[in-house]
Amino acid sequence: MLKMHNVRKSYRTDTIETHALRDFSLEVNEGEFVSVTGPSGSGKTTFLNIAGLLETPTGGQYLLDGQDVSDLNDRDRSRLRNEKIGFIFQGFNLIPDLDLFDNIDVPLRYRGFNAKERKKRIEKVLEQVGLSARARHLPAQLSGGQQQRVAIARALAGEPRFLLADEPTGNLDSLMARQVMELLEFINEWGTTIVMVTHDPDLARRAHRNIQIVDGQVADLRLQSALGEAVTA
Amino acid sequence: MLELRPILSALWRNKIAALLIAVQLALTLAIVGNSSIIVGDRLDKIARPTGIAVEDIIAVTYYPAEAGTDIVSMARADLDMLRAMPGVIDAVHSNHIPLSGSGSASDFYREPNQQIDDEVANVYHTGPEFLQTLGLKLVEGRNFTPADMETWNPNDRYHPKVTIVTKQFADIMFPEGNALGKFIYGGGDNPIEIIGIVERHLGAWTSWAKAGSVAFYPSFPKFTFGRYLIRTEPGKRDQVFKAIEERLAQLEPNRVIDMQTLSERLNKSYARENLMVKVLSAVIGMLTFIIALGIVGLTFFWINQRRKQIGVRRALGATRTNISRYFLVENCLIAGSGIAIGMAAAQIGNHFMVANYSQPALPLSVMLVCALMLLCVSLVAALVPALRAANISPATATRSV
Repeated sequence: MLKMHNVRKSYRTDTIETHALRDFSLEVNEGEFVSVTGPSGSGKTTFLNIAGLLETPTGGQYLLDGQDVSDLNDRDRSRLRNEKIGFIFQGFNLIPDLDLFDNIDVPLRYRGFNAKERKKRIEKVLEQVGLSARARHLPAQLSGGQQQRVAIARALAGEPRFLLADEPTGNLDSLMARQVMELLEFINEWGTTIVMVTHDPDLARRAHRNIQIVDGQVADLRLQSALGEAVTA
Repeated sequence: MLELRPILSALWRNKIAALLIAVQLALTLAIVGNSSIIVGDRLDKIARPTGIAVEDIIAVTYYPAEAGTDIVSMARADLDMLRAMPGVIDAVHSNHIPLSGSGSASDFYREPNQQIDDEVANVYHTGPEFLQTLGLKLVEGRNFTPADMETWNPNDRYHPKVTIVTKQFADIMFPEGNALGKFIYGGGDNPIEIIGIVERHLGAWTSWAKAGSVAFYPSFPKFTFGRYLIRTEPGKRDQVFKAIEERLAQLEPNRVIDMQTLSERLNKSYARENLMVKVLSAVIGMLTFIIALGIVGLTFFWINQRRKQIGVRRALGATRTNISRYFLVENCLIAGSGIAIGMAAAQIGNHFMVANYSQPALPLSVMLVCALMLLCVSLVAALVPALRAANISPATATRSV
């Protein structure tokens, strides 16, 4: 599903060059649930940005679903992001001026679906996350856990094959964090590949595999469970 | 895909700022619309054909130093000299300078001893050379001949026998279009035959409601001053101007001479109109600039406020074009509502101006042109921030600050 080979990412200012990722190589297979951990500043977010086509690598090769995406232009990257990748952000990143229905509608509009198809998908994912009754509520009217469920619904509406989660439980209390984690595991069981960046070692352990990033490189690769094995909550 | 519903939804939740810009646009349109029509009216007025070869004419007024000077003999000598000068096409005496804002007018009637229903015309006392000197076009009848010429003392009552009139005045007096050969009256029973009709002569007062109604008499009033109009060959006016001054002074040193070009006099006559055009154009320009600044400022403000949101949209698959289009459509909706309110306000304002200040009515076509212009200004103003917004990185979505 995801294959990075010797990926490098550096940021240059007038006086200094920072290497966020250096010769970073990683392979994530279809259907895997991989957690990514590491200390602050280790390059987790940079990895996530490159994996999600939010940033381009300075060097190396990145294959997404078998396609080399290292040198795609902005339009093609946007299209691929929209079609293949779902994002779940730490701060939920819902659009405050739009109600839940319209928030979930955002990526579907960019996808070019007609109104009927969009409505069908939105209603389906709202039901999946248990928020059908709140479709016309604004994000501010929901709890943090509910907002994150909306964000997950938004990520799922386009039926992506690859879900990137950036600290999805970072802003939630333990009960809500557990609910969100269960939802992610459920989504993964249905075949969606998930890469989740987290600081929480308990959550990291619940993934099939945990990757540790230190100083922009994969430090330790531990197979927590065999690929395809059922994950217990 | 214009995202109208989400944009409207977002605007509704930020309605104060949007409303302020819309109201500003509405006011701007109302003012610009009404100012444009006034500017257009004044420009039309300035651009009216005068019927006169304005650019080639020099006007001379002189005052003899000694009382009792034979002004007629002096004029004959002066005009002979002037006509013989190189670069001069013709010269003629005239009691007033056309288009100068100074002149005289008389009441005219269709019947002898008529008391009511008079028509007013600007009147000139001049000679047969006036046609060529002023560049007037005789469309019917004949010019004055030396036999028509009369001299008269301003203390006596002058009874003209013949006149040449402008077509405008001829048509007012005789709407059937058969003025030539007809008689008109100056309030008594003295008939004045219309022997010729000239196409156009705007007369003395450019702002007069009856500008263009002019009658010419073949006469030389013995005033205490004299006045000549001199037509020069095209492009030689300024050169001849200096020579005339010297030659007139040589011919009769004991007089005060005042010389002006007709274009100078015309510019003075249109000074108010020109000032109005300049002031209102500046107002239009300034208001348009201010509204453009307002839109640029608001769009930049909104973009900065929504940087994270733009990053999220990009992360969710929006292309740069999607982002720019979002802000341009948003701007169009604000501008559109402002323009709709502005068009109504402009019409209300115009009704008031027409009723109270005799201003021209505001046609829909002018209103639409102004609206389109403002829409373009608002779009151009929003374009730079919108393009800037498109450059916000999708990675902004994952940044915590």
